[in-house]
Amino acid sequence: MAKGKKQTFKSRSNVLLAIILILGFGAAVCRLGYLQIFQANELQQSAVNQQLTDTTLSAKRGTIYDANKKVLAISASVWRVVLAPVYLEDDTQRRIVADGLSEIVDVDRETIFEKSQQNSYYVEIKRQVESDVREKVLEFMDKLENEHDINSQCIFMIEDYKRYYPYGDLAASVIGFTGSDDQGLWGIEYQYDEALTGTPGRLVTATNAHGTAMPFQYSQNIEAQDGNSLVLTIDETIQQIAEKYMAQAIEEHAVYNRGVCIIMDVNTGAVKCMASVGGFDLNDPFTLPEELEKEIDTIADDTERSQAYNEALGKLWRNKALSDTYYPGSVFKMFTAAMAVEEGLVNEESTFYCDGSYTVTGQTMGCHLRSGHGTQSFRDSIKNSCNPAFMQIGEKVGAKLFWQYYQAFGFSEPTGIDLPGEAGDIFFSEDGTMLPVNLATASFGQNFAVTPIQVATAVCAIANGGYIVQPHVVSHILDEDGNVVSTTSTEVKRQAISSETAALISDILEENAVSGSGKNGYVAGYRVAGKTGTSEKKNDSNGDGIDDYIASFCGFAPAENAEVVCLVFFDTPTGAAYYGSQVAAPVYAQIMSEVLPYLQVATQYTEDELAAMDKTAGTYVGMSLSEAQASAEAEGFTTSVKGDGDVVLAQVPGAGTSIPRGGNVVLYTDESSASSQVEVPDLTGYSIYDVNYLASVYDINISMTGATTSAMSVSTSQSIPAGTLVSPGTVVKITFTAGGVSD
Amino acid sequence: MKHTSFLSAKSDLESPLLRYSGAQAAGGRRPAPAGRSSGTKSGGNRRQSRKAPGLFYSGLGIDMPFLIMVLVLLVIGILMMFSASYPVAYAEEDGDSYYYLKRQLLFAVTGVALMIFTSFINYHTYYRFAKILLAISFIGLILVLLMPSSTGIRRWIYLGSTPFQVSELSKFCVIVFMAYIATKNADKMKYIKYSFLPGAAVFVGTAALLLAEPHYSCIVIMFFLVLIMLYLGGMPGKYFLVIFGGAAVAFLIAWSTGILGYAMTRMDGWGQALIYTTDEMWQTTWQTRNSLYAIGSGGLTGLGLGNSRQKYLYLPEPQNDFVFAIVCEELGFIGAVAILALFALLVWRGIYVSQRAGTTFGKLLGCGISAQLGLQVILNILVITDWLPNTGISLPFFSYGGTSLWMMLIQMGVVLAVSRTSKMEKI
Repeated sequence: MAKGKKQTFKSRSNVLLAIILILGFGAAVCRLGYLQIFQANELQQSAVNQQLTDTTLSAKRGTIYDANKKVLAISASVWRVVLAPVYLEDDTQRRIVADGLSEIVDVDRETIFEKSQQNSYYVEIKRQVESDVREKVLEFMDKLENEHDINSQCIFMIEDYKRYYPYGDLAASVIGFTGSDDQGLWGIEYQYDEALTGTPGRLVTATNAHGTAMPFQYSQNIEAQDGNSLVLTIDETIQQIAEKYMAQAIEEHAVYNRGVCIIMDVNTGAVKCMASVGGFDLNDPFTLPEELEKEIDTIADDTERSQAYNEALGKLWRNKALSDTYYPGSVFKMFTAAMAVEEGLVNEESTFYCDGSYTVTGQTMGCHLRSGHGTQSFRDSIKNSCNPAFMQIGEKVGAKLFWQYYQAFGFSEPTGIDLPGEAGDIFFSEDGTMLPVNLATASFGQNFAVTPIQVATAVCAIANGGYIVQPHVVSHILDEDGNVVSTTSTEVKRQAISSETAALISDILEENAVSGSGKNGYVAGYRVAGKTGTSEKKNDSNGDGIDDYIASFCGFAPAENAEVVCLVFFDTPTGAAYYGSQVAAPVYAQIMSEVLPYLQVATQYTEDELAAMDKTAGTYVGMSLSEAQASAEAEGFTTSVKGDGDVVLAQVPGAGTSIPRGGNVVLYTDESSASSQVEVPDLTGYSIYDVNYLASVYDINISMTGATTSAMSVSTSQSIPAGTLVSPGTVVKITFTAGGVSD
Repeated sequence: MKHTSFLSAKSDLESPLLRYSGAQAAGGRRPAPAGRSSGTKSGGNRRQSRKAPGLFYSGLGIDMPFLIMVLVLLVIGILMMFSASYPVAYAEEDGDSYYYLKRQLLFAVTGVALMIFTSFINYHTYYRFAKILLAISFIGLILVLLMPSSTGIRRWIYLGSTPFQVSELSKFCVIVFMAYIATKNADKMKYIKYSFLPGAAVFVGTAALLLAEPHYSCIVIMFFLVLIMLYLGGMPGKYFLVIFGGAAVAFLIAWSTGILGYAMTRMDGWGQALIYTTDEMWQTTWQTRNSLYAIGSGGLTGLGLGNSRQKYLYLPEPQNDFVFAIVCEELGFIGAVAILALFALLVWRGIYVSQRAGTTFGKLLGCGISAQLGLQVILNILVITDWLPNTGISLPFFSYGGTSLWMMLIQMGVVLAVSRTSKMEKI
C-alpha cells in the first residue's frame, strides 16, 4: 500500500509538473510569441502613436510684393501665451501667476485665475501677442522662478504669425486677407493660398503620458518650409494714383455704388492697377464703416442683423472689377465698329444718317442728341457716339457675326484672371441668337452685361493689334530665399481682329479723345485714345427714384504702340453729372496724366501743345538777380522779384518743377520775403484763358490736364484747394472738362 | 505494516519523523546519499536522520541549483523592477527614481536572509504547527477586514507604516495545512471525509474571507492550491470531476448574480483592451492595453534594457503586477522566454527535489510551494497578456512589494529545507 501510495505521488507530481510546464508555461510562451511576433507591428504602431507628440510648426506665410518689391502683405511673428496650470501647486501660486500675467497680457485676472484651476498642460490665455509683450512674459517667468519659487514651466509661448498689410485699404479687394488660422480668405491671399502657405513643419517628440518629453533621445524635427512669396503686376504707385483720383470723384459725384479702375499692360495682360474704391482696411476686414455698422445695429432680429452684417461685408469686400457685370454702353461701340471694319462692312467712306432716333422692328430708340447728328462719316459716328449710326452698323454686321466677335473679344466667358470671384457675362441667349431689337441695342452696348475686366481685356486687343491676352495680377512666385519659382508668361489667347482694323479703330479713338466725345479724357503730351460710356442699369439701388447709371471711360495710350489700357467706371453717380464724359473721362485724364509719366511713356506733343508745354524750371538760386532773370527768360519764363537784394536766395517753383511755358518764376532776394505767402484762389469754373489770367494775378503757376484741347473746356478741379496759403509761384494742377458732351 | 500506525497516531507531533525512522527500523528503503540507487547503506545518513528531530536541521545540505536559480531570478527581477519603475518613481515620488529600487533591495536582502534562515528550519516543525498556522491565516484575514480600507479594498495589515499582505501568508499556511492533512490521512484520501471535506473547508473558509477583502485572484490561487494538494495527496480522480463541475456552476452563479462586483468591472474589459468601443471601456482597459502595447513593442529582440517607452507613465504601476510587460518590451520575446525558462526550471527543480524528499509531508510541502510559484508566474503572464481578467497577481521576484517577496523567499527557504532531506546528489 505504501508502495502504491508512493507510486501515486510520484506519477501525480510528474503529471502536475507536466501540466504546469507544458500547459501553463506553454500557454504563456505561445501568448507572448503571438503578441511579440505576429501582432508586434500593430501593437508597436499603436504604442508609437500614443507616445509621439506631433507638434505643428507653423510655416511663415509668404510675402506679397507689388511690381517694385514694395511689401503689400507680410507675416510677422506673434505669440500665443499658454498656461500649464498643472505645475502650480496651490492657490497662492495661482494668484501670483494670474495677477502678474493679467497685467502683462491685458486679460482679466479672475479669468486667468479661474483658468489656472484646471489640471491641464494647455490653457490658452491670449493669442497674437507681439514680441514686446513676449519679452515681458519671459521676464515674468524668470521672476516666478527666482523670487516666488514657482516652476516657470507653468507658462509657455507658441510662435504664430500675424498678417500685416502696410498699405491698409490699398488694392484691398485684390490682395484680400487671411483668417484667424492664417488661411487665405479673399483675393490673392485666397487664390494663391497654397503657394503662400508653405509646408508646416512637424516636431515629433516622444512624450510620456503626461505630455512632457521623455528623457531619452527620440525627437525628429521636420523644419517648416516657409510659404512662397508673390510679386504682383500691381504697381503700388499706380494704384495709389488711381485710388486717389477715384476717391475724389466718388465724393464729388456722390457715387453710390463705388468705382472701379483697371490699368493693364496692353501687350502682356499684366494688371498694374485694379481698384474697387470705397473699400476696406485689410488689417481689419471685418469692421464695417461706422455709419453702416450703426444702421445694421438698429435691426432688432438677430438673424436678420447678422445676415445684414454679412451682406454688407460681402459688398465691402467685393472686387467690382471682376464680380460686377454692367452694360458696357458706348464703350462697346469700338467693338461694334471693329467687327464691321474687320468684315469689310463699313470703311472710312461709309456714312450714317441720324435724325435723332432709329426704329428697329417697330421700336424707336433715340440718340442722346435729340436733334440728330445728320449725315456723318463712320469716324464721326464714333466721335459723336451716335446710337442710330451704331444700330445701322449693327444691322450690317448681323446677329451671327456679332456673336462671333463677341466671343472672339472674350466677352462670352470669364477672362480667367488669377483672382477669385470673377463673374461671367449675361447675354440675350446662350447661343448668341437675338432679336433684331436686341442686336440694335447691343450695338451700342446696352441690354447685355459684361465685367469691367472683360472690357479692359477686349480694349487691350484694340490697342495691341487685335490680340486677346490673358489678364493676370501675379508676375512671379519666389521661394523663401527669393529665387524665382515660376513666372507668369504672356498668354495670347487669340487674335480677335486684324492689326489693320485695330490700328484704324485706335486712330479714330485717339481723335475721339482729342476732339470727340472723349475729349475730357485727353492728356496733353500723350497720344491717348478712348471712348466714353454711359449705361442705364434699369434698376434703382439707392431709391432716389431715378434709374441708376454707370459712367465709364476706357482708353489707352499712346494711340500707336499702346502701352497701357485704363478703364474707369463709376457705379451710380447721384450728382448732377452722370455721363461717362462728365464723370469718368476727367478721372481717366487725371490718372493717366500721372501714370504715363511714371511709366516713362514717351511724350508726343502737338504743335499747339509745344507752345503751351510745361517746361522745367532751372536753378537760379545763388545767381545774381540779373543773371537769374536773364537765365529764366531765356528758358521762356517770366520772372517776378520779391525783396531788395542782389542775389537770388530762393525760387518758386523750385529747380526741376514743371511749369507751363511762359509761366512765372518768383525770385526771392531777401530772407523776409521768402516767407511771404499768397492765397490760392478758386480756379474752377473758368476757361483755360481765364485760369491763366487768374494765375498771373495771384502769382501762382498752373499745370493743366484734361480737355485742354477744346476752347469750350471749363476747369473742374484744382490740386490745391482754394484758400490754401502757398509760396508765390507754386504750381497748381487744374483739370479741365469739356462741356457739351453727353456720353 | 508497522509505520502506518504512526501515520494514524493521534500524537501528530512526532509522527512524520517517527515514520521516517520507523521506515528505517522496518528495513525499508533507506536514504541513499550521493544519489546512488536505494539499498546502499549509509551510516552517516542514519546518524543524521536520527539526530533530525530538532527545530533546526542542516541534513544533507541544500540543493544548490535551486538556490542559484532563485538568486538569479531575484537579481534579474530587481533589475527589471528598477528599470520599469524609475520613471514612475521619478514622477510620483518627488523625483526619487530609486524609490522602489531602494526599498526592494532592502526587502530582497532581508528576504534572502530569511530564506537562508528558513532553510535551516526543520520543515517538520510546520507539520506540528499546521493547525496553528491555519488559525493564524484565518485570524490575519479577519484582522485585515478590520483595517481601514483603501478605495474599498482591505488586503493589508499595517505594522507601523509597513503594509503586510496577509493573503501571501495565507497561501503558505494553506499549503502547509493541506500537506498536513494529506500526510495525516494518507491512507484515507479516498474517503471524502478525510480529503475533500477538509480541503473544501479550508478553501471555503479562506475564500469567504478573501471575498470580503476582496481579493479574487487569491481565491483563484487558493482554489488551485487546495486542488493541487488534494491531487498530490492522493484523492481519487473522480472527485476532481465533481469539484470542477461544482466550480463551474459556482462561477456561473457568481457571474449571473453580479457578486463578482469589483472583478466584474475589470472583466468587462477582459479581452477587449484593443477593441474598446466606449470611453469607459477605454479607461477600464487602459492598463491592460498599455501592457499589450509594451509587450508588442518589444518584438522578438526588444528595445534594449532600460529603453521601454511604455514605462513613461503610460503603463500604470509598471513596478507591480505588470512589470513583466516592461520586461517583454525591453528584452523582447527572446528575453521573456529566457526568464520564463528560468522560472520553469525553478519549478521543475523544486518539484524534483521535493519528489526525493525524505518524508511524505516534505514531498507535499515542496511540491505545493513549487506549484504555487509556477501558478503565480503563469497567471501573471496570462493577466498581462489579456488572456485572464486583470485581477492583481504579482510576479514572484519581479513585482515590487515587501510581503510577497518575503513570503516567496521564505517559501523558497522551505523548499530548500525540504531539499536537505532529498535523497539525491547535492552539487
